[in-house]
Amino acid sequence: MNLFKTLALAAALTMTAAGPALAAPETPATASKAKGEFVTAYVNGLVCDFCAQSIQKVFKKEAAVKGVHVDLDSGEVHISMNPGQTMDDAAIEKLIRKSGYSLTSIEREAAE
Amino acid sequence: MPSKFIAAGLALAALAAPASARPVSYAGGWTVMQDNNGMYSSLHLHYSPTATDSIGLYTENNWDMDTVFTGLQYNRLVKRWNAPKSQGNLYLKLGAGAADPYDGGGQRAAGLAGLAADWETRRVFVSYDVRARDYGTDQSVSHAARFGLAPYVAGYGDLHTWAMLQVEHHPEADNPVQVTPLLRLFTGPVLVEAGYTLEEDRFLLNWIYRF
Repeated sequence: MNLFKTLALAAALTMTAAGPALAAPETPATASKAKGEFVTAYVNGLVCDFCAQSIQKVFKKEAAVKGVHVDLDSGEVHISMNPGQTMDDAAIEKLIRKSGYSLTSIEREAAE
Repeated sequence: MPSKFIAAGLALAALAAPASARPVSYAGGWTVMQDNNGMYSSLHLHYSPTATDSIGLYTENNWDMDTVFTGLQYNRLVKRWNAPKSQGNLYLKLGAGAADPYDGGGQRAAGLAGLAADWETRRVFVSYDVRARDYGTDQSVSHAARFGLAPYVAGYGDLHTWAMLQVEHHPEADNPVQVTPLLRLFTGPVLVEAGYTLEEDRFLLNWIYRF
């Protein structure tokens, strides 16, 4: 019984420690405030939070990327680029693949 | 009648796997996962250098086999099927290390191997997992299948809830077929499962944290 109390405590602590990480998902509004290029990537295989987290972690390592938002409902990844920066389709596809998923198409909105 | 449900569960499992069916993360990702089910308690900490491989420490205190195993485990995403509304995976798991029996007989070379498959949408989850263990003095093969339904569809960062039924087959056990209803709660980088195995009167508590 003590074992389960310990495990339950460990799980609770883990969830508490995860608090800041849970705040990580960005809203489309946040992502689209950027004045750089706005890219929508249509991605197959996005079914859970681990999927969305993978995409966010991988894209946020890129200097050109200002923000990333993942919409599980539509299978869309919204990427805001830093002003004056861009990524070509091949680079985006490579990052989607590095996250473990499949790119189907890309749409771009030019920087303001 | 219960046997019909078990047969249905196994049939579903044949189409498609369990909590630890997420043994590979994104390139550069770390994962810690822990399973506790009354038969054993395990901890697996792994790093994914690519989106198809992970390697890490695996340790298991197995009360059923009276042994503590400690070693390295390599996981390979053999195949992923990404579709617009679903994802399927086939994983290979290989572990090598040392088993330390409770009776103090000394450490022995030991290993494990497993195959896991899963398929899920945002509403339905099916999985199958087979694992073989050779802990020196004792060997075992076990199977686990799951079927899960999400009562609602949640967005990224929201609380995802799954009601699942796990059917396990442990050929050497007093109750070879064991059924565990469980609840999976999932949000962001944290997944927690709690269940109860009917035949063995024991609790299940698993969790995964990805970073």
